[in-house]
Amino acid sequence: MSHPLQIDKLVKRFGGLVATDNLSFTVEQGQSVGLIGPNGAGKTTVFAQIMGEHRQTSGSIRLYGKDIGAASTPERIRLGVSRTYQVPRPFAEMTVLENIRVGQMPNNLWQMIRRKPQHEKEVELALSVGFLPSDLGKTPGELSMGDLRKLEMARTMATGTSVMLLDEVFAGLTVAEIAQIASLIQQMRKDGMTFLIVSHDLKALEPLVDKVIAINYGARIAEGTFAEVMNNADVRSSYLGAA
Amino acid sequence: MLQIIVQGLLLSGLYALIAMGFTLIFSVGRVLNLAYGAYLLIGGYIYFTVSQTLGVPKVLGLLLAAMVGCLVGLLKYRLLVKPLKGNHVAVEISTLILAVVVQAGVVFIYGDSSKILLPIVPGVTQVAGASVTYNLLAATIGSWAILFALYWFVRKTHVGRAMQAVSMDTKGAAISGVDPDRINMFTWGLSGMLGATAGVFFASYTQLSPSMWVAPLIIAVAVVIVGGIGSIIGTLIVAHIIGFMEVLAVAVIAPELRGVFTMLLIIGVLVIRPQGLFGREEL
Amino acid sequence: MGLRWYHFALWAAFIAIMVAIPEFVSKGTLRIIIFANFLAIFAISWDVLSGRTGYISFGHPFLIGIGAYTSAILTKRFDVPIEWAIPAAVVMTMIGGIIVFLPALRIKGSYFALVTLAFMELTYQLVQVIRPDLTGGTRGMSGVQTLTRGALNGYYLSASLMVTIALSMWLLMRTQLGTALSAIGMNEESVRGSGLSTTKLKLFAFLTSAFVAGLGGAFYVHYLGSIAPRALFDINFLFTIIVAALIGGASTIIGPVIGAFFLTFLLEYLRPYLPGAERYFIYGLIALLLYMYEPKGIIELLRKGWHRLFSRHSVETPS
Repeated sequence: MSHPLQIDKLVKRFGGLVATDNLSFTVEQGQSVGLIGPNGAGKTTVFAQIMGEHRQTSGSIRLYGKDIGAASTPERIRLGVSRTYQVPRPFAEMTVLENIRVGQMPNNLWQMIRRKPQHEKEVELALSVGFLPSDLGKTPGELSMGDLRKLEMARTMATGTSVMLLDEVFAGLTVAEIAQIASLIQQMRKDGMTFLIVSHDLKALEPLVDKVIAINYGARIAEGTFAEVMNNADVRSSYLGAA
Repeated sequence: MLQIIVQGLLLSGLYALIAMGFTLIFSVGRVLNLAYGAYLLIGGYIYFTVSQTLGVPKVLGLLLAAMVGCLVGLLKYRLLVKPLKGNHVAVEISTLILAVVVQAGVVFIYGDSSKILLPIVPGVTQVAGASVTYNLLAATIGSWAILFALYWFVRKTHVGRAMQAVSMDTKGAAISGVDPDRINMFTWGLSGMLGATAGVFFASYTQLSPSMWVAPLIIAVAVVIVGGIGSIIGTLIVAHIIGFMEVLAVAVIAPELRGVFTMLLIIGVLVIRPQGLFGREEL
Repeated sequence: MGLRWYHFALWAAFIAIMVAIPEFVSKGTLRIIIFANFLAIFAISWDVLSGRTGYISFGHPFLIGIGAYTSAILTKRFDVPIEWAIPAAVVMTMIGGIIVFLPALRIKGSYFALVTLAFMELTYQLVQVIRPDLTGGTRGMSGVQTLTRGALNGYYLSASLMVTIALSMWLLMRTQLGTALSAIGMNEESVRGSGLSTTKLKLFAFLTSAFVAGLGGAFYVHYLGSIAPRALFDINFLFTIIVAALIGGASTIIGPVIGAFFLTFLLEYLRPYLPGAERYFIYGLIALLLYMYEPKGIIELLRKGWHRLFSRHSVETPS
């Protein structure tokens, strides 16, 4: 049985700095995994390697059993993994629907020309992440931070992804927006999405994850349920040490 | 052989001066000022009018050219660059348009044909078997003096350090109490002044014509790209590479090819080593 | 593609006007419109690449020059029939497009613009010294075979070429492909992050742009009957192309056409007062003010005006 995401002995060096240090972990089908650690622990670097934005120095990344170490970012996305960013990166002069449309497009020039936009599916996706019908024609400049996060999740879902990496989804959101995004994640978990979530907001993260992996200096220091990891002495000292 | 070295050294000094004003803006303001060549145009023609036509002493003419260049730089920042804040494409395009406008303005006033600028310092001397005009010698010595003054200014004075700070991190500089707007303003003025001064020397080396802004712009671009953003030392080194390449091309291959290697260098470096030969160190 | 009745209506009106023009204007004006047509083609070519993807090309005369020179050399020096020379010129230009595309794999923004500028200057200098027996060196070539005789035929040929290119590019850019190219201009990383290969998309944009530039350049040289390096690889020429696209309205295909006509006629109206290159002073100032006032161009001003007049309807200009 191959797992959606399997990281094995991953190492990333930037010059003398070891950003990822022999990191191994597995995310099982339908599981939601939290990736935590103090600032600079190397969480985002792990995401960047899974997506192929940075190449790992050594080690392997497997997606449903397939080694994706040599694949480009778009290829990885078509294999079913994609991510969101801490600072959302929408297409500034496009409407909500058009933003989602880019995620839906086939990666084939001829089909891009021939196929009409799947309007119903775009609307369905937009509504499913919590947009109101009146929001669909708005441009990113008119949206709140929470809406931008939703938009990014919708565009990511539009690529047909089955493993979603969320980078600091709660950063910069109001309490109400955090609740909205959290319930959205819960809904998607029920629908079978596999998650890997980076968050500093541990309170918001707790109900969303089946398992937590804590890293520091790029290396894993604890893995287990949320409660187990929180009670781990290394985790506590790493957070205190960083504070 | 010796002649090539002498010629190369002289030309390179001039090129370093031309490139310096452009580098400053790219470094501090992070924008490409495609109208940079217009300063040279303005400087050259102001000097021509004041000193050659009206007979005002040459030093005064040079000073006036520098001051007008400074003023144009300030105006350009206020009226063009600041309103388009942060939009690099818009700044590039509008400065390109501005360059064409200035060129047309010069044609309007002075006509289309090129003019000979009398040597600022007349006379010829022999250096190591090569005949060297005092004019080019003065231009080169002048640019070296200006370059050293600039280096000292950026390293040692308060304003110079503030410029360095803004070029490294605009936000960080603002938090530390430097007003990036004022520093930008100052840099644009300084850049205009350097450009106009370089224009007088450049025009006296070649000739005065409404299209004399393109070649210096390309030289400045090449120096910035190959040398890395805003390094004064890098600028100096690359100005010599380009100067010598041109002199060699003219002497060894064919005079028509003088610019070809500069172009190839730009393309080659950008494609193979986008960060420049000397890295993108700051100021 | 979401075509609406008013799209058909506007295009029909546009084509009708182009067909009717020779009935109402003098031969001299017709010659001016021929230049506007060619400028429109070049501006569309620029728009497909730079207006969409944000990769600003300062080297479009490089591409146009390849098309023009190839066709001129083939017909004049090798007696190749025009109907073979033009397709060959288009293919050569597309190869040139790939050459410009290669740096775009590694660099963006200002640096890309500078490489293309260097390409243009490089070609200008090389064309004068390499094989002057073929290129005609500094003086260029004259006596190149022309396709048409007289202003009227020249007008019909250039107008039908321009309308065909404008319509097909407009249709192409209304597909999802056009949306994807615009998305690259807004945020290239996010396009990759949406699972699309930006390399493929950019290559397509470069090739399409080169195709149009080559076609325009080849027909242009066979209209003029001559070619001169200084007029072609010239910053003023480059400036006119870019400004036509921008003040007309970048990324809209129709905008560049409007811009090209606006600029050409502006330049002609200035001619009696300012006969020489000083025309560019007024011309440039107007372009600069327009661009600073509305960076989205004339088409956006028209759209806003339309909105104000008929604000109750939901309106959309062909974009």
